[in-house]
This record gives sequence, structure tokens and C-alpha cells, in this order.
Amino acid sequence: MSDFTEFEAGQVVFATSFPVSREDLVAYADASGDHNPIHLDEAAAKAAGLPDVIAHGMFTMGLVSRAVLEWLDASGRDANLTDFSAKFAKPVVVPAGVTVNVDVEAKVRKSDADSVELTISVRSGADKVLAPARATFTLR
Amino acid sequence: MLNTSYVGRSLPATEPVAISADSVSRFAHALGLSDTAAVPPTYLISLTLPAADPLIADPEFGLDWSKVLHRDQRFVYHRELRAGDEVSCVPTVESIKTVAGSDLLSLRTEVRSSGETVAEVWTTLFVAGDAA
Repeated sequence: MSDFTEFEAGQVVFATSFPVSREDLVAYADASGDHNPIHLDEAAAKAAGLPDVIAHGMFTMGLVSRAVLEWLDASGRDANLTDFSAKFAKPVVVPAGVTVNVDVEAKVRKSDADSVELTISVRSGADKVLAPARATFTLR
Repeated sequence: MLNTSYVGRSLPATEPVAISADSVSRFAHALGLSDTAAVPPTYLISLTLPAADPLIADPEFGLDWSKVLHRDQRFVYHRELRAGDEVSCVPTVESIKTVAGSDLLSLRTEVRSSGETVAEVWTTLFVAGDAA
């Protein structure tokens, strides 16, 4: 049970959802040092041609890292994240005073005894936000 | 338009800095990650993007940050980093592709610690052309 042989390509390994608000973006801007105003200020976002404030792509990718690390932890395997990538397809729009959901679902892309590669789809409402993300875990 | 003669060019390694426990803790907290000494997977972006600042400041290169969208991001980790580790970044302009008057700029940054490459970080930026 401690390796990755039980997984099959196409198998869904988890689905989860994260609520995101403007406060989360402020906290991420402070922690990451990315203070681009399109992630904080509605007027700046609209001036840049966006419908409203958008989440940092790296914030969304960070939530995906949390989802896959929590899955690994729960699976009881002793592995390292060795490769993690994402293509930013559409922004997560975060209007003031509401919470939007970022829905994350991970499937096995391929696996062998030593490693598993997940394909992670990320949606906000009807939009595919990441197209897609991928994460590889390799046994220590 | 970006200056394509920069393709293949690397910036000098940044001064080694110790990853502070406080910055790791704040980053983990902002993502709801459990707060341990392990450096969160995407934390490295807070080192690799500032490492590319000399490119933004270089008028010869022609990168207007206000026209940039983050298109693609990849991290390859060779060894786990912990708070307290000293790291240095070496950014390289890996490629510039021009598509319909806009540029796709790929940067590859080597993150080094104690003389070894501990991570490689690729960032692809879409840089809107003047007409866009």
C-alpha cells in the first residue's frame, strides 16, 4: 500500500472546493509580495480590461498545491512533489462582498510503483481556470 | 516588442538569502497550508520573479510589466527546501515567441542552494503588443 501501483490512469482521486474572497487575495498579496492592483482594486482591474478583481494565478495554483498535498497526506504515502505545472486559461473573478468557489478535481494521468502523475482540473463557475494543472509525486 | 537578442542570456546569480521561517509561515497561512518548516511548493515564485527585476528595469529588453499576463508556470523540485536554507536564483531568458504582434516570454530560473540546483522554475509571460 505504500507505493503507487494501485492507481489506474483516469481514476478520480479527489474532488474538493475552496471558497475565495477578496480578503484571501489581500492576504496572498502580502505573503507573496505580488501587489499588482488588478488583484486588489476594482477600478484598476476594470482599467486593465477585466470584468472585476481577479485572483492571482499563483494563488489559484497555490490552492491546487494545498489540495494535492492534503491528498498525499491522507493517502499515507511518503513522497515528494517533484514536478508541478499549470497553464492559466481564465481568471478567477472575485467580486466584492461575496465568496466564489474554486472547484478542484484530480485524476491519475499515469502511475508506476515509484511515482504518480495527477491531472488537476480547476473550475470557477462554468470556467476552466487552469488548463489543466499537473502534479507528480515521487516516493522518497 | 521584446529584444530577441536576449534569448539564451542569463542574469548574474542573486545574492544568497536565507528563506525566513516567518515568510514561509505567512505564505503557508495565506493558502491554508499546514504551517511547517517545509517551503510551500509555489513559494519559490516570490524569489524567482524578483530575481528577474533587472530584465524589467533594462530599457534595452523592452519588457512593459503593465502589459504582462502570466500564461504558464512550472516547478521541478530536485530537493525539498526548508526554512533557513540559503538560496540564490539564476534567471535565463529561455525563449521569446512572437504571435500576432504579441510576445510569449519564457524564463527559466535555477534555484541553487549550497552549490547544487534544488529547483528549476519556468514562467511563461504573455506580453501584449502595442496593438493589443
